[in-house]
Amino acid sequence: MSTRNTINRFATIGGICTAVALAATGCGAGGPSTTGSAGTSTVNVLVEAGGHAELTGVAEQCKKDAGVDVNFVELPYDGMFNRLSSEFSSGNVSFDVAALDSVWLPSFKDAVQPIDELFTDEAKKDIFPALVKEANVDGHFIGMPAWTNAEIILYRKDLFEDAKNKADFQARYGYDLAAPTTWKQYQDISEFFTRDGMYGTDVKGGVETEWLAHVLQAGSPMVLDGDKVVIDNAAHKEALDFYVSLAKSAPSGAAQVDWAAAQNLFNQGKTAMTRFWAHAYRQIPKDSAVAGKVGAAPMIAGSAGVGGVPGPWYLTVPKATKNADAAKKFVKCAYDYNDKGIESSLGLASRISAFEKYQDKEGYESFGPLIETLNGEATATRPATEKWQQIVDTVLVPMLQKAVAGGDSATLLTDAKKQIEDLLK
Amino acid sequence: MRVAERIKNDGGKAAPAAAGPSARSTTSGSGRKRRGVNREGLEAGRRSTRTLLWILLAAAMVLYGFPFLYLLFTSFKTPIDTIAVPPTILPREWTLENYTNALGRSGVVASFINSIQTAIISTVLSLVLAVPAAYGITRYKTLSGRIFIMAALVTRMVPPVAIGIPLASMMAAMGLSDTPIALSIAHTTISLPLSIWLMSSFFEAVPKDLEEAATVDGCSRLGALWRVVIPVVSGGIAVTAIFAFLASWNEFLFALLMTAIRSQTTPVVIANFQTQFGLDWGSMTALAAVYSIPVIILTLLLQRKIVAGMTLGAVKG
Repeated sequence: MSTRNTINRFATIGGICTAVALAATGCGAGGPSTTGSAGTSTVNVLVEAGGHAELTGVAEQCKKDAGVDVNFVELPYDGMFNRLSSEFSSGNVSFDVAALDSVWLPSFKDAVQPIDELFTDEAKKDIFPALVKEANVDGHFIGMPAWTNAEIILYRKDLFEDAKNKADFQARYGYDLAAPTTWKQYQDISEFFTRDGMYGTDVKGGVETEWLAHVLQAGSPMVLDGDKVVIDNAAHKEALDFYVSLAKSAPSGAAQVDWAAAQNLFNQGKTAMTRFWAHAYRQIPKDSAVAGKVGAAPMIAGSAGVGGVPGPWYLTVPKATKNADAAKKFVKCAYDYNDKGIESSLGLASRISAFEKYQDKEGYESFGPLIETLNGEATATRPATEKWQQIVDTVLVPMLQKAVAGGDSATLLTDAKKQIEDLLK
Repeated sequence: MRVAERIKNDGGKAAPAAAGPSARSTTSGSGRKRRGVNREGLEAGRRSTRTLLWILLAAAMVLYGFPFLYLLFTSFKTPIDTIAVPPTILPREWTLENYTNALGRSGVVASFINSIQTAIISTVLSLVLAVPAAYGITRYKTLSGRIFIMAALVTRMVPPVAIGIPLASMMAAMGLSDTPIALSIAHTTISLPLSIWLMSSFFEAVPKDLEEAATVDGCSRLGALWRVVIPVVSGGIAVTAIFAFLASWNEFLFALLMTAIRSQTTPVVIANFQTQFGLDWGSMTALAAVYSIPVIILTLLLQRKIVAGMTLGAVKG
């Protein structure tokens, strides 16, 4: 009988729990949603988790000025593409504004509506040229850049200013130790600091952006020139050979080094220099061995000038939203109050004027080099093909990993060309 | 059977009887000595087997337990400690900062409530559907029942990502987007086949005689199920409930595709600590550690039932 009692007790508890859970099911614990409600002044904004903080200040200001309330739908970067694909393909979206990574713009160009009216002449002058170009797909502006980033040079100021290091470097290389302005200097400095368990720089086999920046600096478009695959041209080979040559001044296992690993190595004081996204300058932990000892310099120029690959995010308005007016008001707010993002934990913006406003303030020393890099004559965004992410994941990164592990660059580039051509067929 | 084998099989207790007449004739000193030697050998063998088992057990515990312990220790590390190269196991300085950050983040408490709500609904749905289905399949051994249970297994072979997007579209079409009930239904599609299979094996272990006896005492078939069979398989139900609960509690993909503001569950919130521009290890591990507490408590509370359920059917026949 006791077993039956136990069962009855379980059944009762289960029943109560279910009743409570079902009763609460109507609204969930996260609060009410306005999905699909036409003409309201509340917009749902889908953002990558790191982007939420960037737009919080904008949202507050937008509520005050335009009366638009904002709910953020925060998703991890890795899952966001799937979610967007799912909702765009169903034609039923749970958000009114979506922040898209620049590489996704070509994939979703047919699912978002033009916002040409927001790209006034004044706006176009205040947004970095490469971003204005990228936001325009098939003759229409479809995304307003909310924040952008680019790789700059971060270096250990304390090591560079050390008297002994300066003297030793001068004696060995015949010129002053300072933040590098040529790739030859970068190579020398990397070699110089590779000693006593420390490394001059890192080589990231797990990401493609840095190698592609070298390609731009050598004067070639990245991977594709229009529809033509140019990955086997001289600029790509030169860039790859140079990229691999730095491996002797970098920690071993370059094939596995990605952004996180490189950032950790630098923050731990294991590398003297790194080429890294500018936001990392402001994200050095206070208890890090290098806190307060880091300098920033623009990306180094190649024969074609300074070149970097920007990493912008664009605010877009889905065609399927029933709340387009309020959504566009929010996108306009994001442009008008773009500098609000700089005070967030990520600390980025997309307008030149927003970066300039802060560049001379203490703690924002990375902004000057970032502006210079983003305005660089060779700076360009990634090719506008919806297959780009696939090309990166299946061709470029595996190829780089083989290259840094000692593969023949010419053969690897030829193979890569064929693979990319197959993907684009 | 050879004597040594018999001794080995019955632990040496039946050795004299099993040894037969020829052995009985050697109950002298040398025979006792030989048996003594055998016993010592057996004891030594048993000790070494036990030692080996303990080593294997310890290795398995380290293998399964270390990642969780590392997660736990990381949650108490300072930001720079969490990214140390090479990594350290124990924090150099203990801090609760990660817990404050993680639990103070907006949406975390709501996501916990959503996870609990979703897991409970999904578990109850699974049991309500799986118990009668499994009972029917095991008691009425029909062709359609066999096809059904095989079909249930086939659904487990389809990768969730293949049905995730269509399922999300269906939920949206039914107006259930971003609700715990939609996610619970989706989670039930994962746990139901497993629940049916588990419950079927538990029902198989219950002798039919028990039900027949209950029927003789005046019970209807449903009455026999409720009053006799269900109490007998209660351990199995507990095991099934745990599996169904865990399947929902830890599920990520469907939660990612189907939830937004109202019903986002904690696994999605945990993943949000990884952004394009960095990974907040400390806060992520702190929230993951907190999220594992309810499951640990639930497992401990139902431990006896689980063990009973696991052994149900072990003595069948």
